[in-house]
Amino acid sequence: MAGLTRTAGAFAVTPHKISVCILLQLYAPSAQMSLPFPFSSISQHNRLGLYLLSLTKSCDDIFEPKLENLINQLREVGEDMDAWLTDHLTNRFSSLTSPDDLLNFFNDMRGILGSLDSVAAQDDQIILDPNSNLGMFVRRCILAFNLLSFEGVCHLFTSIEVYCREAHSSSAQYDASNDNLGSLIQHDQMDMEKYIMDKATEEIELQKNASGRVPFHLHTPEALFKVTEGLLVTRKEKSRTNTKKAEATQLACASSSTVNDTLVDESLFLRTNYQIQGFLMEQADAIETHGSSLSSSSIESFLQKLQNLAPELHRVHFLRYLNKLHSDDYFAALENLLRYFDYSAGTEGFDLVLPSTGCSMYGRYEIALLCLGMMHFRFGHPNLALEVLTEAVRVSQQHSNDTCLAYTLAAMSNLLSEMGIASTTSVLGSSYSPVTSTASLLSVQQRVYILLKESLRRADTLKLRRLVASNHLAMAKFELMHVQRPLLSFGPKASVRHKTCPVSVCKEIRLGAHLLSDFSAESSTMTIDGSLSSVWLKDLQKPWGQPVFSQESGSRKSSTFFQFCDHLVSIPGSVSQIIGASYLLRATSWELYGSAPMARMNTLVYATLFGDSSSSSDAELAYLKLIQHLALYKGYKDAFAALKIAEEKFLTVSKSKILLLKLQLLHEHALHRGNLKLAQRMCNELGGLASTTMGVDMELKVEASLREARTLLAAKQYSQAANVAHSLFCTCHKFNLQIEKASVLLLLAEIHKKSGNAVLGLPYALASISFCQSFNLDLLKASATLTLAELWLGLGSNHAKRALDLLHGAFPMILGHGGLELRARAYIFEANCYLSDPSFSVSTDSDTVLDSLRQASDELQALEYHELAAEAFYLMAMVYDKLGRLEEREEAATLFKKHITALENPQDEEPNMA
Amino acid sequence: MVSKESCRNEIRTAIGQLSERCLHSAAKWAGEQLVGIEQDPSNSTPSNTRFQRGSSSIRRRFSTNESITTPQPSVGFSQAATPLPEEDEVIDGDLYHLAKSYFNCREYRRASHVLRDQMSKKSVFLRCYSLYLAGEKRKEEEMIELEGSLGKSDAINRELVSLERELSALKRTGEIDSFGLYLYGVVLKEKGNETLARASLVESVNSYPWNWNAWSELQSLCTSIEILNSLNLSNHWMKEFFLASAYQELRMHTESLAKYEYLQGIFSFSNYIQAQTAKAQYSLREFDQVEIMFEDLLRNDPYRVEDMDLYSNVLYAKEACAALSYLAHKVFLTDKYRPESCCIIGNYYSLKGQHEKAVMYFRRALKLNKKYLSAWTLMGHEYVEMKNTPAAIDAYRRAVDINPCDYRAWYGLGQAYEMMGMPFYALHYFRKSIFFLPNDSRLWIAMAKCYQTEQIYMLEEAIKCYKRAVSCTDTEGIALNQLAKLHQKLGRDEEAAVYFEKDVERMDSEGLEGPNMLEALVFLATHFKTHKKFEEAEVYCTRILDYSGPEKEKAKSLLRGIRMEKTGFPSMDMEHFPL
Repeated sequence: MAGLTRTAGAFAVTPHKISVCILLQLYAPSAQMSLPFPFSSISQHNRLGLYLLSLTKSCDDIFEPKLENLINQLREVGEDMDAWLTDHLTNRFSSLTSPDDLLNFFNDMRGILGSLDSVAAQDDQIILDPNSNLGMFVRRCILAFNLLSFEGVCHLFTSIEVYCREAHSSSAQYDASNDNLGSLIQHDQMDMEKYIMDKATEEIELQKNASGRVPFHLHTPEALFKVTEGLLVTRKEKSRTNTKKAEATQLACASSSTVNDTLVDESLFLRTNYQIQGFLMEQADAIETHGSSLSSSSIESFLQKLQNLAPELHRVHFLRYLNKLHSDDYFAALENLLRYFDYSAGTEGFDLVLPSTGCSMYGRYEIALLCLGMMHFRFGHPNLALEVLTEAVRVSQQHSNDTCLAYTLAAMSNLLSEMGIASTTSVLGSSYSPVTSTASLLSVQQRVYILLKESLRRADTLKLRRLVASNHLAMAKFELMHVQRPLLSFGPKASVRHKTCPVSVCKEIRLGAHLLSDFSAESSTMTIDGSLSSVWLKDLQKPWGQPVFSQESGSRKSSTFFQFCDHLVSIPGSVSQIIGASYLLRATSWELYGSAPMARMNTLVYATLFGDSSSSSDAELAYLKLIQHLALYKGYKDAFAALKIAEEKFLTVSKSKILLLKLQLLHEHALHRGNLKLAQRMCNELGGLASTTMGVDMELKVEASLREARTLLAAKQYSQAANVAHSLFCTCHKFNLQIEKASVLLLLAEIHKKSGNAVLGLPYALASISFCQSFNLDLLKASATLTLAELWLGLGSNHAKRALDLLHGAFPMILGHGGLELRARAYIFEANCYLSDPSFSVSTDSDTVLDSLRQASDELQALEYHELAAEAFYLMAMVYDKLGRLEEREEAATLFKKHITALENPQDEEPNMA
Repeated sequence: MVSKESCRNEIRTAIGQLSERCLHSAAKWAGEQLVGIEQDPSNSTPSNTRFQRGSSSIRRRFSTNESITTPQPSVGFSQAATPLPEEDEVIDGDLYHLAKSYFNCREYRRASHVLRDQMSKKSVFLRCYSLYLAGEKRKEEEMIELEGSLGKSDAINRELVSLERELSALKRTGEIDSFGLYLYGVVLKEKGNETLARASLVESVNSYPWNWNAWSELQSLCTSIEILNSLNLSNHWMKEFFLASAYQELRMHTESLAKYEYLQGIFSFSNYIQAQTAKAQYSLREFDQVEIMFEDLLRNDPYRVEDMDLYSNVLYAKEACAALSYLAHKVFLTDKYRPESCCIIGNYYSLKGQHEKAVMYFRRALKLNKKYLSAWTLMGHEYVEMKNTPAAIDAYRRAVDINPCDYRAWYGLGQAYEMMGMPFYALHYFRKSIFFLPNDSRLWIAMAKCYQTEQIYMLEEAIKCYKRAVSCTDTEGIALNQLAKLHQKLGRDEEAAVYFEKDVERMDSEGLEGPNMLEALVFLATHFKTHKKFEEAEVYCTRILDYSGPEKEKAKSLLRGIRMEKTGFPSMDMEHFPL
């Protein structure tokens, strides 16, 4: 196949390798003395040997050190004979004046190898065993050189010249080298400067960590890594540069010229395909995690470079697609996605493709469809996405790619559940896939359920653990929101239990979280190519504190293999993301079921444990929940302060929900403070966020009209409010939004209560309660009960006893989990009940009432809910009046007056948020 | 109209100047145009004019005779105020001659070395130019030597930096002539500085319009009509050549043809213009005309390889195996290592159904020129034939990445994906190809078919596409038939009837018969009968009677029914009462 990647990473002779060879020649000269000339002690000799060993081990790196770096390192190793070593090295290089010298040099190299069969070497002889690490290295070099054509030798020769020249120029003064740098990088100077800075800071850190020692092991590969990774690092570190600036810049010169060099010079780049793929995978993760907060142009420039270096590395296109996706550039994203799949046929670098299944003759274009579908979804074209995914299902079936099918089904169910497409029949009616064709009779919810089940089954048989886990989570989400119902119910058996099932939600969440244990149990099978090598790269980032070439170097982990093992038990990012999502889901479910502390706890767990690995949208959601919690339980001041922080953090994220939250909070706040105009405006803005398409963004639309009804209610336009609520209820019914139905019913009851029509309100309240019961919405039920009680009281004071009983029934729930408003309402209502109960005497039992009222007024003040607060103070004043405590009465009365005036003259003192 | 005489004089002088500076291809181009001008009848014997086309030896002798006599600058040239520059130097004589010979022997570095200390503008130009070419040559070599494992080959012309430095310095001091400006433009273009390159080239062609090399570099930098229009070019007849070729590249074929037509008034025998006209006609799919033109061209210029790949495409489209093999043989003997030759041979094998061999030759063409667009596309076609869809997609994608306006490759991509049962995915590519060529019915039909597949089944969209196809004069007549059938399927008999009628009309005019015709007739007959338009129904019924088979019987019974309804009486058997 024309476009497939050829395996990279052939061993090529480079100037750096020749340096190592020269040093090896010093270490084991062919004249077999017991201790070769310059070495004064055996330990010195050994030290060089260890150093060479590490050099040979790192010779496959993405970047090779410059001669200058090498000389610096030699200085550390060589101690008193460093001058001699470096002199020898440079002299040897300058003696290479023609390609013929190179030929001779490699002929000489052959001499330092011992013969293969001479096992019986004398003790004090220094012979390079051809099978040792060093020997192998020499042999590989010789072989690679012998394979070179004459042109190749010439190129090697010129690159040696460049290699030496650079060392000279950069060992010159700082200014000179700076000039040199300037001429080296004419284009994209800006980018380079960035790299330089990052590189500089990084070098300094390394040096600090290595306590002054040169961190010799592979510090150049990071150059590439830092090229991009460095851009993600906050710029704080820059402040630390001042002390070592000169030195750092020198190092930076070297490293940046490395980067530059690879652009113009061949052969220095690209170790293995493996590694590059892993590196790209890492970048992809970074793009996802940081969302659009990442500068897309910097990634773009990096990708451009990479593409220049490796035009056949098609994964670059995929990364570019991701990048464009996150910077919301639809056309470029589409273009790059298509290009990637055109070139790679879906077979390059995708972990969905198990090597065992083999890439068929036909390529794996179904993955292209899957990705395209998800892209359309993200850009908000649900119908298009559904079309594409349907095609993906079909093609996957056709090519019997079950893995892809499972993923596609999951994506499809996700799409359906998120978008809740209204008239899916028109969309899905055309498709003839077995999964969807039967489904045309079913509601969207049922279809989602089928898809999920199907996907789960496949994922389970294929042992796609992550998919299984995320499917379980999706299932939990589904169970959380939807009523269990037989898929096809015929005949008179219609009286099915309409009930959500918290147990199964819990079960699904737990099953989802099993992923973690699965991973630690059989991690080795789960590491896919990319993450393995990227883990390896990550290791490089961590500088080793241990002195590497000290005498007890055996304590160091001897090979990267052990580090692999180390890392295998740690959790890949994608897994921790899913686990994190499970916590978020837990929080959401507790929110619905009405346990505020549990919701808060789970969110906090998420934010603390999974904040690093989470995608930006998930992190945003967590923040959202926490802020909502603050607003409900601590009042607006704290919430707005937190919101400000969150805004800074997430404003760049596309489709930010923060804006939504802000509008919600502002609306709520305005309602409480009686600023109805503002409330109305916020409400309208909220509605404006939703898409105009029917059936899309349903939740947002419901939210908006719910809020509209509440605003109307606050404006005492009861009939209009009732109208809005009624139509809202119809919408909810049409789109099968059960939970929203319950709250709409409650709102209707509320409207009737406020309009003084308690009799009409009662059935709504009761209906709401029964809804809440079947959906296990405990908190909402408590609040409905409160409304019910209020309605009873509204029927006359003779019902006070009954109302009080109802209230006391709901009290534990309200006080335990309710927000400030609900609690205050309950307190006030309790006081009201007592006061209107004819059998209750204020003078004897005043504390019961006053306590509740005091509680209520405290909470309401935090909430700035003027209307209720006024009511509380009014009641308080009345009670004090009855008791004859005039001073306190006056105090309460002034507070009452304050709240009333505040309510009547709402100033626009928005806390600089709107 | 520019006078032929002045053109001739200008070109003659220019050829001398161009070849003096070793701008051989520009000189070649100018030479072609020069002999393309109709000879002045007063200067030439009737026999000369008769032999003008086809007898190159006579022409050459004739023109050399004259060029010696009239080296004077042009007189009475109305359109362009550009005077021919005086040849400034005679001084650098010997060294310059040596350098020129070196250059002509392709020893570029040697040539530039000889001129190292010469300061005249001519020497400076030749020195820089040979240095540039030396760098290019080395670059080409390195590209192969350095080909990395992931396809990395970023060999660059190492002379560019120093050349740019020198030329920009010269430009700043104003010591640069129009040839230097041309070279500066080329260097800037290579370095990726397109705006500056364009400016420099414009300056060059404005001061010396006869350097076709400069024009073609400029043309390659005009990627959109906006850029083209923004160029500040002074009027000269060379500008017409430039515009014609630029329009062609921007797919404005009719405009381009108009320009060429105008130019043909002066350069009536120019092979170049003829080839370019053929190219434009090819894009307009006038294959017969193109074939004639190319035959003519080959008769006059039998060893021409340029543009012959296009001719082979025409022959391929016309399935003229013998002619194609003849052409392939001829170019093979002329120069087998030209991408065009390989492409022609590939086409031949493809026509013969030997796709592996075809691929091999296309590969060779691509080896010779990596950016040879049509070879990528044609190779894609071959892979499609070989059912190696991923490879086909890869090839097409490369073509598209080289030139995103290549509608054939986009179309190929769409086809490949459709073949794999991904019609929805394919639609995007069809849309792309249609975007670049909105007037081609084939593309619209392909897209319509995509919409029609049972997987998508969006018939309304398909109908829209077919309508577009009809409006683009669909030569194969698929669209009308499909439109009628689709409407029939959707139960819109009125529309269906309209399209069937049109289709019948079309088939009548083209003299076609066949199942489509019969189907249309049957539908129309029944349709008109049910709508009580008996006159029309009868006409169609009688036409059906010309055919044999079950339809004939049906027509008979229809006719009977018509009679019955017309007269209000039960009909009698036709057999018994022949009319």
